[in-house]
Amino acid sequence: MNNGLGRDLRDGALSAAVLLPSIALYSAGFGIVAGTAGLSLVEATLFSGWVYAGAAQMASLQGWAYPVPVLFVCLTTLAMNARYLLMGATLRPLLAPYPASASYFALFFLGDLNWAMALRRRDPSFNPLAFLLGSGLAMWLVWVAATMAGHGFGQILDRPERFGVDFMLAAFFMAMAVTFWKRGRQPAPLLVAVLVAILAEKTLDGPWYILLGALAGSVAGVFRRGRAR
Amino acid sequence: MDARADVVLAILLVGVVSYSCRAGGFFLMRYVRLTPRIEAWLNAIPIAIVGAVLGPIAANGGPPEWAGLATAAATMHLTRSDFATILAAVAAVALVRQML
Repeated sequence: MNNGLGRDLRDGALSAAVLLPSIALYSAGFGIVAGTAGLSLVEATLFSGWVYAGAAQMASLQGWAYPVPVLFVCLTTLAMNARYLLMGATLRPLLAPYPASASYFALFFLGDLNWAMALRRRDPSFNPLAFLLGSGLAMWLVWVAATMAGHGFGQILDRPERFGVDFMLAAFFMAMAVTFWKRGRQPAPLLVAVLVAILAEKTLDGPWYILLGALAGSVAGVFRRGRAR
Repeated sequence: MDARADVVLAILLVGVVSYSCRAGGFFLMRYVRLTPRIEAWLNAIPIAIVGAVLGPIAANGGPPEWAGLATAAATMHLTRSDFATILAAVAAVALVRQML
């Protein structure tokens, strides 16, 4: 048992290692933007360490002002992070055998990347809690450190989009899409999610489209199953 | 310049919202019985989230983004490696952006 725990902690950190460069770059980007928005190094570091959600942090800074529009930044974060509600729901069966306190601690480190990697594992001896913690801690440390670096050395990276770095997250999501597709082949949820998200993104303000598309798509999966069996 | 009280308070609140999302879905599922219907819903969530993120990227993108998405799908299909996929896709995007 102990062996498995140590192994999966390490396994988590090593699996995340592949993604650390893109995480660092993204977080450094946040540090740069935070510096331009007038946040001090301490504030930017607290932001990354406490909130730990790239898309929500970036979106919050879009409307940043002084005094801080608290309601706006909280709603933006809610919209951006609502997908974690669904991700957390999928983790309930996986984390059921473990103590609740440990699960709630590990959930602090839940991100798109380690969620997807944990769900992809099919090894019966796999410990998802240790994996989430190991990968999450590695990612969190790099995330915080890179924000500080970005805030400090913001001017060095000139127009990073020339190098396609803004596409890293999309590329990772496409990699996940291929894995999830190969596992399940669920055309209805995929199609409904894509279409509803595109429509919602065009018609609604803010990042609610991810939640709406994901909800519509996953519900489509229920109906399809209902008909098939 | 270090930390201002109102900024710190805003950041703390944002963090509470952020963690509530992470823990909230997990917490609520405690009170939901895993029927086959619920299980089908949970099983469809991953592909639906991925689709909801990628759909607008494809719809709003141009040739560089389309090339990136196609390269990512092909590379992942062939290599099953996240790392190779991200590298190849980013290279494809950068290349097409240079050409345009």
